[in-house]
Amino acid sequence: MRVLKLKKGDFVLFLKSLKRFGELWGPVKKGDSYVYARAEPENFDLKAIRTIIPAKKFFLPKKSTILKFKNGEWREHQEVVNRVIFGLHPCEIHALNIYHKFYSRLYPDTYYLKNREANLIIGLSCIPDDKCFCANTRTSVVDEGFDLFLTDLGDKFLVWIGSPKGETAIRHVGHLFETVTAEDIEDYITWRKERDEAFQLKIPLEGMPEIVSFSYESSIWDVMGEACLSCGTCTMVCPTCTCFDIQDEYDIKAEEMNRERLWYSCVYREYSMVAGGHNFREARSERLKLWYTHKLVGFMSKYGSPACVGCGRCIVSCPVEINILTVVKALKKEKTGAFWERMEVKNA
Amino acid sequence: MKPKIGIYGLTGCAGDQLNILNCEDELLKLFDIFEIKSFVMASRAADESVELDVAFVEGSVSTAKDLEDLLAIRKKSKILVAIGHCAIYGGVQAMFMEKEEWIERYQKVYGKQDAVTLTAPLEPKPLSAYVKVDAALPGCPIEKEPFLKLAGMLIHGVVPKNPDYPVCAECRWKENECLLLKGEICLGPLTNSGCGAICPSHNTGCIGCWGPIAEENYAAEIKLLIDKGYDLDAVIKRFSIFGGTERAEKLRKFLEKEGRK
Repeated sequence: MRVLKLKKGDFVLFLKSLKRFGELWGPVKKGDSYVYARAEPENFDLKAIRTIIPAKKFFLPKKSTILKFKNGEWREHQEVVNRVIFGLHPCEIHALNIYHKFYSRLYPDTYYLKNREANLIIGLSCIPDDKCFCANTRTSVVDEGFDLFLTDLGDKFLVWIGSPKGETAIRHVGHLFETVTAEDIEDYITWRKERDEAFQLKIPLEGMPEIVSFSYESSIWDVMGEACLSCGTCTMVCPTCTCFDIQDEYDIKAEEMNRERLWYSCVYREYSMVAGGHNFREARSERLKLWYTHKLVGFMSKYGSPACVGCGRCIVSCPVEINILTVVKALKKEKTGAFWERMEVKNA
Repeated sequence: MKPKIGIYGLTGCAGDQLNILNCEDELLKLFDIFEIKSFVMASRAADESVELDVAFVEGSVSTAKDLEDLLAIRKKSKILVAIGHCAIYGGVQAMFMEKEEWIERYQKVYGKQDAVTLTAPLEPKPLSAYVKVDAALPGCPIEKEPFLKLAGMLIHGVVPKNPDYPVCAECRWKENECLLLKGEICLGPLTNSGCGAICPSHNTGCIGCWGPIAEENYAAEIKLLIDKGYDLDAVIKRFSIFGGTERAEKLRKFLEKEGRK
């Protein structure tokens, strides 16, 4: 993979030059958090850690029209927007690679594939905070799934070129890029050591697929099920959650109608409900078990890696602290101190 | 032949009927599709003598007259749709959850029981307490889009269905920060979606005006809020406002079980 150098001072100029590929999107501050937003590169936050909603929103939109009924017939519909998405950390790119496996192999999803095609992905290095654990999930380094990847070395970026599209992107402004020197490599090694030593959180994932499988009858799921609010936040913020629902929007005059595809969550009551009203996962505990079994066992056996990239979103997002850290600990009989463990929640 | 419909109001603020009138551009379409036999808010020319295909009813049953009207509407309608919080859950007027008998509460406010002479008062209840309700459209008030969608389902012979997920779904889609995590009382996880998470999007906790979701884990949220330092009474009060009769009963049992009050 070709690696070049870009001066910090040329960063904004470079990103602006990419507007010919599409809209510029990147991490900006929202309250105490971050979101991917359409903005000028001056406003992108290079220190942003995880965004509230991951970059999956660009590939599987939260809500989109997939069929339109007009003049008596249904037609396939998709609004494809060309974008340059800046600021994806290695975990986020790994998550997209998981998305790609899921949506391109067995049943290729044309909507996903078109969106993937339309986006230029620019990765960005990061320093982990106390909720990051991508070193644990082996997703702290990425070598595919991006067009360009920038490692921030203070006054300069090292730029990895990951695709022909990435090559094209820099060719137009080739004068901004320099060859990497021995000093740059030294700086990278120093940065890498600092980054690798910055991880504070370690999740005991060892032995995980087996332990989850063995724990299928564990009462721990019932305890969590009592506390789970079924808000669906875990699945919405998880960068590897792929589930969606299909809804038809009827028009009273049947002139125009839409079929909508929208994010859905396996923790919602209706997710496993079938015609006639039978629910295969009536209890919330069953749904939580499904989620964690899918992430740590099911995906593993099918694709060879867990569907967790260590981004920490579930850890910062679940109001009752049911997350990968507390679940794995609990399955290993460790105390978690989580709300769901502290409170003996019982419904009246 | 156009399906015949009626739009009625019992005890409530009439906001649901008003929002049907607010459909503006789509009103002509509605007139085109349905034969509106009764809609007193829009026209006094109501014909109550005919059978209806669909009756939309807002408001809670709070008087003997309400009940009489509701029974008559039910009798002549093939499909009865409860629209708005009052009709589905009982409304704010059904929030009362103390053990005291209703009539004692009533007398505290109005004095003697016969103080109101127009019609006899009843404890406010949702339509389903008295009649079979075929479909419901939540909201306080209902919103135009979901109403038109539901009307569309009815006209195409589809069993009407509302989203069965909480406000949190829409709140995450809007990429808001979670207010519960920030330590605020937010009823998002317990409340029907459809509003587009308006209040949380403006940094205000959800008060639950679209009514309790089918599977609300109220006990967990009460305990969570107490864990965050809230006073139980304050939490119960907030949960009661738009809780309706059903949640009032649940909360009563919850408090008994917790050994308080």
